[in-house]
Amino acid sequence: MNEQQIKEWLQSTDRAAGPALFGPVSASHLRRRVRRQRLLWLMSSAAAAVLLIGFGWWSFHSRPAVPPAPQQDRRIASLEEQVQQLQAQTDRALELVHEVLAQERQQERIAALEAELARMPDPAAEMERQVDKAAFALLYEADQLYRELNQTESAVEAYEQVIHLFPQNQWAHVARKRLAEIKQLQFNESKTEGDSKCVSPSV
Amino acid sequence: MDRFRQGDDSAFDRIVQRHAADVAALANRLLGWPQDVDDIVQEVFLAALAGLKTFRGDCRLRSWLFTITINKCRRHCRRLKRHRQGPGIAEAVPNLYLNENAEMAAIDAESFARVRRAVRALPTKYREVVVLRYLQGLETAEICRLLGITTNALNVRLSRARDRLKDDLKELTRETV
Repeated sequence: MNEQQIKEWLQSTDRAAGPALFGPVSASHLRRRVRRQRLLWLMSSAAAAVLLIGFGWWSFHSRPAVPPAPQQDRRIASLEEQVQQLQAQTDRALELVHEVLAQERQQERIAALEAELARMPDPAAEMERQVDKAAFALLYEADQLYRELNQTESAVEAYEQVIHLFPQNQWAHVARKRLAEIKQLQFNESKTEGDSKCVSPSV
Repeated sequence: MDRFRQGDDSAFDRIVQRHAADVAALANRLLGWPQDVDDIVQEVFLAALAGLKTFRGDCRLRSWLFTITINKCRRHCRRLKRHRQGPGIAEAVPNLYLNENAEMAAIDAESFARVRRAVRALPTKYREVVVLRYLQGLETAEICRLLGITTNALNVRLSRARDRLKDDLKELTRETV
């Protein structure tokens, strides 16, 4: 089947179907129809608007007044009050617990500080120890000068400084002994050399 | 048109008298020969009445009316599909003109019915080009302008429509031969 045959078939069918049927069409008729459609649209819109307004008015005015609180509401209110009271009691108990805990923590802290203080050495004893240490250091230096370096005069000055600075210390006694030994030694030496001059110990 | 624009209703009546038959024929063919196309014709001229004052005259009045007709028919088909009544109108078509001339006498009612079914079975876009080309006898350029498609698109649609019709009307050809 080619295009021409299709065309012939279609045209034959169209002719066989006959002409289209339609009623009279006129401008006035169409205008009436337009007016009718517009009127219908306007009426339906107006009806919808009236319905909407009516519904709004009804829903506004038919709103029920607030009913008085029934017994159930009062019971709920009393229950709420009880719950609030319980809540307040719980809050107070919690505050008390917090205070007790804070006091306990404070006491523990004080005890710890006291223990730390107790562990600390006595300042007077510490001071005495430091003084003793300084006196010993000076004495040791004087001994070094006298015995190792054989500088007797410098050693005598150092011993005298120990005696001057720490007169009550044990190392001051040692220093005095050392000075006495040195004087004695110097005296003996001068005696053996036959010197007539007699030197008496100053200490 | 100028008289109509100036408010002369009789000018519109003359336009209707001149083009109503063409509009009705086109609607009848696009809808699969339902015969009664009064509603479509009324809708077309109603739309024309509303839009004629703004009609710029870019195309011929007949083409403009055909465009409106095509749109109204599309809308009508969509409405029918929504209501599940099939793409066309009722199957029964009066055979009043069946034996009016010798050429048609050779083809029986069953063959016409088969052709009508084949045309109705076409998708709308294929049915439109077939009707405009083979039944309305319009030129390619005018069809393209009416449907708003390119020449290539028109040729493609025509080719596919022919293929479908060939398939559907194969038996008819054998019987005739």
